[in-house]
Amino acid sequence: MSDHTSLKTMEQKKDKGFVRNLLDRMNINTILPLVGFIVIVVVFAFLTDMRIVQPNSINLILSQVYVLMIAATGVFMVMTIGGLDFSQGSILGLASIVISYLSFYNIILGIIAGIIAGAVIGAINGFFHVKFRIPSFIVTICTMFLFRGLNAYLTTNSPVAAHVSVTSYNVTWLKVLLTILVLLIAYLLFTYTKLGMVLKAIGAGETAARYSGVRTNLTKFLVFTAAGGITGFAAFLNVIKVGSITATAGNQLETQILISLVLGGLPITGGAKVRFYNIIVGTLIFSVLNNGLVMLALDTAMQQLIKGIIFVLVVALTIDRESIQVVK
Amino acid sequence: MDDIILQAENVSKSFGITKAVQKVSMSFKKGEIRGLIGENGSGKSTFVSMLCGIHTIDEGRFILNGEELRINSQVEANRKGISIIVQEMGTLPGLTVAENIFFGNEDKFIKYGIKNTAAMNQEADRLLEKYGFHHISGDSMIDHYTFEDRKLVEIVRATYFEPLILVIDETTTALSQNGREALYKLMKRFREEGRTVIFISHDLSEVIEHTDTISVLRDGELIDTVESGQVTEDDLKRLMVGRELKSHYYRTDYGEPVSDQVVLNVEGLTVPGEFEDISFKLHKGEILGFGGLSDCGMHELGKAIFGASDNRSGSVTLADGTPINSIPDAIKNNMAYTSKDRDNESVIVYETIRSNICLPSIDNLAERGILHKKKLDQFAQEFADMIQVKMTGINQFVSALSGGNKQKVVLARWLGKDSDIIVLDSPTRGIDVKVKADIYALMYELKKKGKSIIMISEEIQELMGMCDRILIMKDGRINGEILRSPALSEEDFIAKMV
Repeated sequence: MSDHTSLKTMEQKKDKGFVRNLLDRMNINTILPLVGFIVIVVVFAFLTDMRIVQPNSINLILSQVYVLMIAATGVFMVMTIGGLDFSQGSILGLASIVISYLSFYNIILGIIAGIIAGAVIGAINGFFHVKFRIPSFIVTICTMFLFRGLNAYLTTNSPVAAHVSVTSYNVTWLKVLLTILVLLIAYLLFTYTKLGMVLKAIGAGETAARYSGVRTNLTKFLVFTAAGGITGFAAFLNVIKVGSITATAGNQLETQILISLVLGGLPITGGAKVRFYNIIVGTLIFSVLNNGLVMLALDTAMQQLIKGIIFVLVVALTIDRESIQVVK
Repeated sequence: MDDIILQAENVSKSFGITKAVQKVSMSFKKGEIRGLIGENGSGKSTFVSMLCGIHTIDEGRFILNGEELRINSQVEANRKGISIIVQEMGTLPGLTVAENIFFGNEDKFIKYGIKNTAAMNQEADRLLEKYGFHHISGDSMIDHYTFEDRKLVEIVRATYFEPLILVIDETTTALSQNGREALYKLMKRFREEGRTVIFISHDLSEVIEHTDTISVLRDGELIDTVESGQVTEDDLKRLMVGRELKSHYYRTDYGEPVSDQVVLNVEGLTVPGEFEDISFKLHKGEILGFGGLSDCGMHELGKAIFGASDNRSGSVTLADGTPINSIPDAIKNNMAYTSKDRDNESVIVYETIRSNICLPSIDNLAERGILHKKKLDQFAQEFADMIQVKMTGINQFVSALSGGNKQKVVLARWLGKDSDIIVLDSPTRGIDVKVKADIYALMYELKKKGKSIIMISEEIQELMGMCDRILIMKDGRINGEILRSPALSEEDFIAKMV
């Protein structure tokens, strides 16, 4: 039999041309999110009498996608190691406030401070998660309440307004450029350095990863810190868009990210089967869905209901029952 | 014909393109203990999984007491009188012993919706007493007990309802001598009561001694069923492998001197509660064995040497004085470790073979921090091929491999890292003879290349067969040193172990 199999694999190797290889790599889970994206665009195109594919609508959809896409890049790493981060919205809020304060002095300083503010919250998440071994979703729910509270306190009397000049940065090419830059850097790091392999290994089996020489605790801490920092950077795009920050800034960002990534095909338990394009496809699907529902003039309650149903269905259909484990 | 209780008729099962079981037909008598042997991946576990409702049957059928067996789950199998004790841990943490024993059958202790815990504990204690497991008590949490005791609880759970057919799948590897004796006694009792036992084990001498008949599977097909009294281990090996196998697969050299160049120095190593004050030196090209009972501390020692224990004191240093205090330290300095707990600590099961092989060497594979996919592919392919992992390709998930092939992946990754000091904890645990022979051959080859190996094992035979020197541990301390010699016997070891 062993002779048999080795012969067979050799034959397969010979046969395997480019197309076979491509088909092998594009298994059902890979194609599904892409198909989903196309289906959702077509469906809404019909439902809205093609309004959703007009340049105006596309512009609107894209204008909402930048912050989500950048922030999702950090959470993508968190979810790859099998964690969750519910503090993202509060991070965006606080970092936006910090940037707004500093926009009166120097906008570059503001951006840097925003990143630092986000990274500090991320580091707090990582510290409690790693040091006290608390599951990440519990830690981040706690920090979410904590920093939501702080944001509400800072905006009690009036919204925190940024310097009026910041809205001049609210131009499409800059936002597109910055988003592509973040995605590109993250993609290169994830694909061409050991980062991707290490994060997937932690998600797939933390103990075995540790025995393979991965500094699991340090890596987990850094991933949460980075996720905070990246969202701190996304806060800059938020500030230039809205100009002044209220207590509700960043509301529900965490769930939007989570839903986006799952819609994009990211396994909720992380591990070996995550793919970088999950971020892009997922956030696009989510934004089209979001805007499509608005265009249909459904009331907010109904919109939430529909989003909830789709989310549950996608999770139920795509969850990998074989490798399911407790989310860290 | 009357005493035939169970028949398998052309039973087949495939997983994708792999034909795990192919048209297997055999019959089992009342009061028979049937051994089921074969290499890893020969279809033993799949065959009994179908019998017990864990897997569905593709083709063919089982006939129990003249009626076709139609079951969809293990619970239904239990109701029909078929029970299984599985290879992996099957008890639930966070519950008491009694709750574990009666899990799924609590109904008989429930009256008007209220569970009578006292009655349940009492019944559990009665059963434990009957099986002779006096030291386990029904109302204690299962978590307080050792791996072996939990296995004993599982045995009670699988058999207290007196099933007609009991399947024991590779359970003895987890048990010490006492536990094994208890299991053998249980098997005998089943035979006397006219019940049937299907006993799966890799330990051929154990199979010959404790069964009436033995069926041999190879590549999913039934090769032969023989009378246990009329075969030798070598006969069985021949049937399993399909060709002559050298009966001595250990190394055969004796009296060759080992270099006195020290490569690893362990000084006063202690992990509280596990072992105390362990000191020894490992030499270049030496295979140093550690033997003892499973809870003597040697498994924890292997982890501590590799820098994996967080509350360790004492020192582990290389010849040049480099301290090994963490796993990354150890790997950077070309140390390797394979764990007894293969699925959790040695391989990342839900990852590809490729990642598993590349991960420890990842820093060496990167050029200025940049990884090239092709290079990683080549690397993984090279070492998987070198050690002949049976796989569909390097992108296959490790979870799809058999135990022996998983271990090959583990060894491939450390060969890839070009490790100089290799700590092997129970390297052949639950692995069939053929892969075992491969592993022994590899160890000897590594030794000849000047690599040093620490082999931790509960199998006295393989320690005797492979090691230049063996340190016996007892209650967390070194209790004796035995040097390689053809005149050794198991008694020399046991005297120092207990």
